[in-house]
Amino acid sequence: MLADKETLNEIAAIISDLRGKTERLQELSGGMQCIDRNCERILAGVLMLELNISDACEFLD
Amino acid sequence: MEVKSGDHYWNPVLETLTREKLRALQFKKFKRIVEWGYNNSRMYRRLYDQAGFQPQDLQSWDDVAKVPTLQKEDYRIAQAKEPWPYGDSLCVPLEKVTEYHQTSGTTGQPVYQPDTWADWEWWNECWAYILWAQGFRNTDRVFIPFGYNIFIAYWAGHYACEKVGCEVVPGGVLNTEERLLKMKELRATAFMATPTYVLGMAESCRELLKIDPRDLNIQRILCAGEPGASVPATKRRMEEAWGAEVYDHVGATEIGGWAYECTSRPGGIHVNEAFFLVELVDLDNGRLIEEPERPGKIIITAFDRHAQPCIRFDSKDVGMWGAPCECGRTFRVLKGGVQGRVDHITKVKGVLFSPVSVEEVVRSIPELGDEFELVLTKKGDVDVATLKVELEPGSGADKNIVLQELSRLLRLKTGLSYRIEFHEYGTLPRYLVKASRFKDLRK
Repeated sequence: MLADKETLNEIAAIISDLRGKTERLQELSGGMQCIDRNCERILAGVLMLELNISDACEFLD
Repeated sequence: MEVKSGDHYWNPVLETLTREKLRALQFKKFKRIVEWGYNNSRMYRRLYDQAGFQPQDLQSWDDVAKVPTLQKEDYRIAQAKEPWPYGDSLCVPLEKVTEYHQTSGTTGQPVYQPDTWADWEWWNECWAYILWAQGFRNTDRVFIPFGYNIFIAYWAGHYACEKVGCEVVPGGVLNTEERLLKMKELRATAFMATPTYVLGMAESCRELLKIDPRDLNIQRILCAGEPGASVPATKRRMEEAWGAEVYDHVGATEIGGWAYECTSRPGGIHVNEAFFLVELVDLDNGRLIEEPERPGKIIITAFDRHAQPCIRFDSKDVGMWGAPCECGRTFRVLKGGVQGRVDHITKVKGVLFSPVSVEEVVRSIPELGDEFELVLTKKGDVDVATLKVELEPGSGADKNIVLQELSRLLRLKTGLSYRIEFHEYGTLPRYLVKASRFKDLRK
């Protein structure tokens, strides 16, 4: 696996999209716990992607 | 920038970031968690206000030392308040807390550790770095011979195994013999335990089951809880007993899983510097140590844990920087792992002394058993160091020759002489998890 800055930026954009989509799901859930709680778990996973990739993007050449 | 092979690293982006860029990332993350702690925890706000520090004072690395260090006692005081049991240290609404653990309480009232679901995911992510660096893959069947409970031990190891794709077998309710038989039956490829238990299991395997531990075909063992896997002689004993590769890692309830040995085995452990800031400070004057080979106290910050942040926490652990590792990770290496506790580094007969050095000597002598005990007492004004050892059964060793060799090596390694007692094999205390082989009775 090789990844250049452009690819990593694209990955970061998709991660951001994932967060936005998941938060939107929560907004639409109307309090349905099966959506809210599973989204909470997805968002924890998204945060790990942000810590692993998105945070680093601004420091890459 | 070109990222190296993804198979070698859990995260090739962060683990091979240049030092300059890694430092920039660390500073950004340090500022972020300091602001979070100040804005959301009454404990940190009080601590910083009392010191006259504000998060906006953090402008450069030189300002990091202005952030007050956090002592374990600060948690205890903060947790005596509402909301129970986390009090002023809590940074999120109580209903966001999904995980509870606590410290052992060996130095006083236990510290309660809350984590949100995201914090818990972060714990497991930290461990995924550890496991991947040590060669754990989805072809491994990992046995965990430990009963998970209110303490953090092995919980994250279990879930991180799942994360990296291993098959994980919880062996908690079984006794040692049953665990060994289950490992054999299932053909486990790896397990996790304290060095004390790794050696104890090998002994039980030979003595109780009459099976050579090597016949279980374990390939790798991840050690936790004690420094043994970074003590060369202890590591060698474990590897010879099991015919497996033994790896060290370090973590703590309040901090996270913050350092790990890799398959290049650099004689130390990498600090996960993308997730943690480790500052080594001089034991006497508190000044920052950047050069290798000089022991210092470890002050540590977890960048991404939010329910109860860990910011410039005084770990009381001692370590020293080593040379860069050939594995390609730019994360710095703590040579020899954690070298001991500040409260165990003491002066004996005026000489600075660490019990780990005695472990290294005892376990380098093949005629001696795995167990030993070191007791410091006073006779009048003179310190007396008594070392209790056992001869390995069936070694045919001449006790006097072993005594001479042991005394010589101890003198060489620690600069001290010892009163050495030989005890019958099997009579010194055996420990199931963490050992307590050092007793300073002078106070």
